Amino acid sequence: MARRNLTRTKMRSLLASLGIVIGVIAIASLGMFGVALQYSFTQNLGDIGNQITVSPNTAENVTELTERDVRDIQRVASPTATVAPVKQRVEPVSFDRRTTGRQLVYGVENPAELYEAREGRITEPFRTGALVGANIAEEHDLHPGSTITVNESTVRVRAVLAEGDAFSSLNPDNRVLLPASSFQERGYSQVYVIESSGSRANETAMAIRNSLNDRQERVNVMELGSIVDTIEQQFQIINTVLVGIASISLLVAGISILNVMLMSTVERREEIGVLRAVGYQKRDVLKVMLMEATLLGVLGGVAGVVLSLGAGLAINHYTVGDATAVFRMANAWYLGAAFSFGVVTSIVSGLYPAWKAASEEPVEALRG
Amino acid sequence: MKVVDADDLVKRYRTGGQTLDALAGVDFDLDAGEFVSIMGPSGSGKTTLLNILGLLDTPTEGRIRLDGQDVTGLSDRKRTALRKRTIGFVFQHFYLLPTLTAVENVEVPLLLDQPPGLTKRARSLLERMGLGDRLDHRPDELSGGQKQRVAIARSLINEPKIVLADEPTGNLDSETGRQILDEFQRIADEDDVAIVAVTHDDLVNEYVDRTVHLVDGTIGRERKSGG
Repeated sequence: MARRNLTRTKMRSLLASLGIVIGVIAIASLGMFGVALQYSFTQNLGDIGNQITVSPNTAENVTELTERDVRDIQRVASPTATVAPVKQRVEPVSFDRRTTGRQLVYGVENPAELYEAREGRITEPFRTGALVGANIAEEHDLHPGSTITVNESTVRVRAVLAEGDAFSSLNPDNRVLLPASSFQERGYSQVYVIESSGSRANETAMAIRNSLNDRQERVNVMELGSIVDTIEQQFQIINTVLVGIASISLLVAGISILNVMLMSTVERREEIGVLRAVGYQKRDVLKVMLMEATLLGVLGGVAGVVLSLGAGLAINHYTVGDATAVFRMANAWYLGAAFSFGVVTSIVSGLYPAWKAASEEPVEALRG
Repeated sequence: MKVVDADDLVKRYRTGGQTLDALAGVDFDLDAGEFVSIMGPSGSGKTTLLNILGLLDTPTEGRIRLDGQDVTGLSDRKRTALRKRTIGFVFQHFYLLPTLTAVENVEVPLLLDQPPGLTKRARSLLERMGLGDRLDHRPDELSGGQKQRVAIARSLINEPKIVLADEPTGNLDSETGRQILDEFQRIADEDDVAIVAVTHDDLVNEYVDRTVHLVDGTIGRERKSGG
């Protein structure tokens, strides 16, 4: 009966559930947009939350880190952590044997524990040859087997490294890596520590500060774990605000349902009076009216969910580059929440008109 | 056997500072299978009496027994349940639900209970009213007389003891009015249902067993009709 009643005022019912549709879409797609944003951001951040970079504090006239510093760092880092000391030097480098430019080259003892090769292979141990980052390789058309000149001696490229996380201080994309043994310097310019989690990294960073900066501020310790946490929290907040804004539109939809239902109770006053006269209890009338509101909400909700799934596909296609990324738990949660919020809104806004209709005295309603 | 026995009904309305006695001590009895009309000028309390008989309203004073049971002070819930069991209504404006077909409209009073054989009974009632070929038509596809016959079928679906009709012929031409009154008479005779019709229409009096005249909330002269 509720269904029939809705078809009677098709246009108005349509508009009312359109409100719910829009509300649901707004909530669900803004929610999914936030999720996609966060996802793509975390992808860019990658593992930098787990990374610590220890560098000498030049302000205190410390220019390099010693073997002892490295041992200290290894001691305070957790046993599973990777501790990779790195040397740096500026050398005249030629990629094409004609032009020579000055380029920072890095000396790494065991690059295999930090990087992966995109082409070629990273030999273990790393004693000869060079590794180049993806950007340099592209720029100068380098492949495993190509040769470059470093400080007038020819070096063969062993591997092109896979692209790294954009914000990481380990990012190898623009670097040339040489075996640490080819460096004469004894000290290290940086030590990278990779922990298994952000919170571990944080602890290790504190431990390094405690042990190395005991008497003198010898080193700068940079770790992004806490920053990454803060950023993710910020995203949560942004998302909540977005969804909050979206739910205002649902509120408006609720009011429009309230309006529709109220209009229809006024319009159908006599019919409702007849129902009461032929023996429908107040409760029965209430049920019929609430059924209508629920139906509006469910219809609007279903349409909204379907449409926002479409929107989610589009959003994920453009932000993450993978449309199927829409099928994630967080998104399902937003869809479900938006749907139930839509239905609840319409029931709540149907409540008052339904109550009003049910408590009308049949005598009054039927007075003609 | 008396289906309705009302004594000394008073209905008082308070409007502003004034009190208005819509009914000022009305006694009304109704036997099973009786067809009674209530006549009187507007404001004489006809509709108020009908509402009280139909348990849509309660009297300010007086006592009313329905089918031997005292129903004077019943709660809204109980009155509603009793209406469903024993009373059928026919209105001047038909008040059919425009979205439902004729059969569905007849089923409406029992639609939430869905007793077995409901649709069958609704169909046979409509067929009895001569609407066998209009079963699945919507109200806006029916003429006034047909609508009123659907409404009568609806009032009978719950096998009531009493059918209360408020100006049942008021919106019909006299020819259709006669058909409707024929139906009422048949129902009263065949089904032993008591029928009370509030009306302005003198035509009704040709069919009824008895006419009650209300003037200013009191019973005027009462006239037995030929039958």
